[in-house]
Amino acid sequence: MRVRTSLSALTFQAMATMPAMRAPATMVLAFQFAGWLYQPPAGDQTSPRSNEQITRPLEELPSPPVSSSLSAPRLAALHARLTLSPRLPLQTLHRTLIHPTADPDPRFNNASLALLGGELLGYHTAEHLICHYPRLPMSVFFAAQDAYIGPRALSVITREWGVDKAAEPGGEVAPGLLQFRAIPAGAPLTDPDAPKEKIWNRGVSSRIASDDSNPRRSIRTEDPSENKDEVSYEQACTSFVRALVGAVHLHCGRNASLAFHRDHFLSRHLDFAKLFDFDDPARDLSRLCAREGFEPPIARLISETGRLSRHPVFVVGVYSGRDKLGEAAGASLNEGRVRAAAQALKAWYLYSPPEVTKPSSVEGGETGKKWIPNYVDCGEVVA
Amino acid sequence: MPLKALEAVSKGQNGVGAFILQCKRIDVHYCDWAGSSKGMNTFITTHLPTFARLNPSIELHISPRPTRHPLLRGHYINGRQKAVCVKNLAPGQILEKAELLKAGSGEKNQRINKPVASLNGSVRGVWSPFHGSRYRL
Repeated sequence: MRVRTSLSALTFQAMATMPAMRAPATMVLAFQFAGWLYQPPAGDQTSPRSNEQITRPLEELPSPPVSSSLSAPRLAALHARLTLSPRLPLQTLHRTLIHPTADPDPRFNNASLALLGGELLGYHTAEHLICHYPRLPMSVFFAAQDAYIGPRALSVITREWGVDKAAEPGGEVAPGLLQFRAIPAGAPLTDPDAPKEKIWNRGVSSRIASDDSNPRRSIRTEDPSENKDEVSYEQACTSFVRALVGAVHLHCGRNASLAFHRDHFLSRHLDFAKLFDFDDPARDLSRLCAREGFEPPIARLISETGRLSRHPVFVVGVYSGRDKLGEAAGASLNEGRVRAAAQALKAWYLYSPPEVTKPSSVEGGETGKKWIPNYVDCGEVVA
Repeated sequence: MPLKALEAVSKGQNGVGAFILQCKRIDVHYCDWAGSSKGMNTFITTHLPTFARLNPSIELHISPRPTRHPLLRGHYINGRQKAVCVKNLAPGQILEKAELLKAGSGEKNQRINKPVASLNGSVRGVWSPFHGSRYRL
């Protein structure tokens, strides 16, 4: 570190009278790293970078040597900040931060961990949503999944974890920074000359049938066979968070990875009612009532004020027989009716059973919980 | 397509699930020569190892800053920094300043005049003049 000094009379006087100072160095407290010996998970076939390789200058290595993670304060601080288990070694945490664009060697980058973590994240989030909101329409379900573990959400989470990106990847970079080769500023994100891919089946259900795990935007990691030289910050963050989830699962087990998912992803706030974008809620509601065998919905005016004024307010309720399904206020009779129908539909779609048993909570039989089947809905209203 | 969905991103609520300490790094600057760093130099040798052991999630950077007053500078997750000059302070007082930096969120100081801040709507709802008992003259 270069210490900036201005040359004044006081500086010269200080230089003359000061005792010789120690070399400016960042102090690393040795006890922070006590007990951080590498403990590979069962079936791990990777090996730390051997010694003869790191005799080369660090600048020639694509990513910092694994051994350097044992003396990286930034990495140790990240480990402590996320309250990760001591069973997750710093070496693996270091590896989750290396994107394949920084180090193409699959032994040292996070591609494999990200693949595992992406599947785990998708599975745990999907089962939470399906168990707790069995009536969510598919499009809203995927929007909710995206809001929890989509690339945008994961890049926000990376920032909230205090992980910074390295300006440029390399072996000399301090471990603990997210390393990837970024798309240069101003470069187009997609190749403008590339032929446009024709998507024939745009509907949600047909894409689910073709086994696309997220029809809105693919939540999978990019195809490993497709070698990208540069990725965006969002993509790099996505691979880091997924890799960390995969690493927690590998090193600490299923229960720890479930707890990690609950604490860091499911605890985030999402207002499901704001995800709906109705086209014609009154029509959907009458279809729903017909399907469920309710009496057809009727909108009735509950209360009004200032009908002839500039700001009229009408409170409209939709009723099915003697049951009030929804109620809302609008500036016109029609607006009140439409809003009330939308509110009734949201009340239907956002039903949440009071007690659910998630499949992952009884897997392996470790928790001693008993499987109680969950409520399964017959599906969304198709109008 | 009867129903479309809007894109959203879930909001983090620090402490609801996991708690992330917002102070991620503290720079400790001292001077070997100047008298205003006397307390700081004692602090580094006596109090700092304990502080570091108790707060493993804070990165500590200790570096000399010759002919300048001693300084503690906290770096926060939101990208802001907070610097505290600790000239002529006793080691115990410097420890208090370090605790202050550790406890900070990195936000600018702001006046909080609501007892509760929440992302969830009120369970009682917004008051409506059209509901409840009607007022009659």
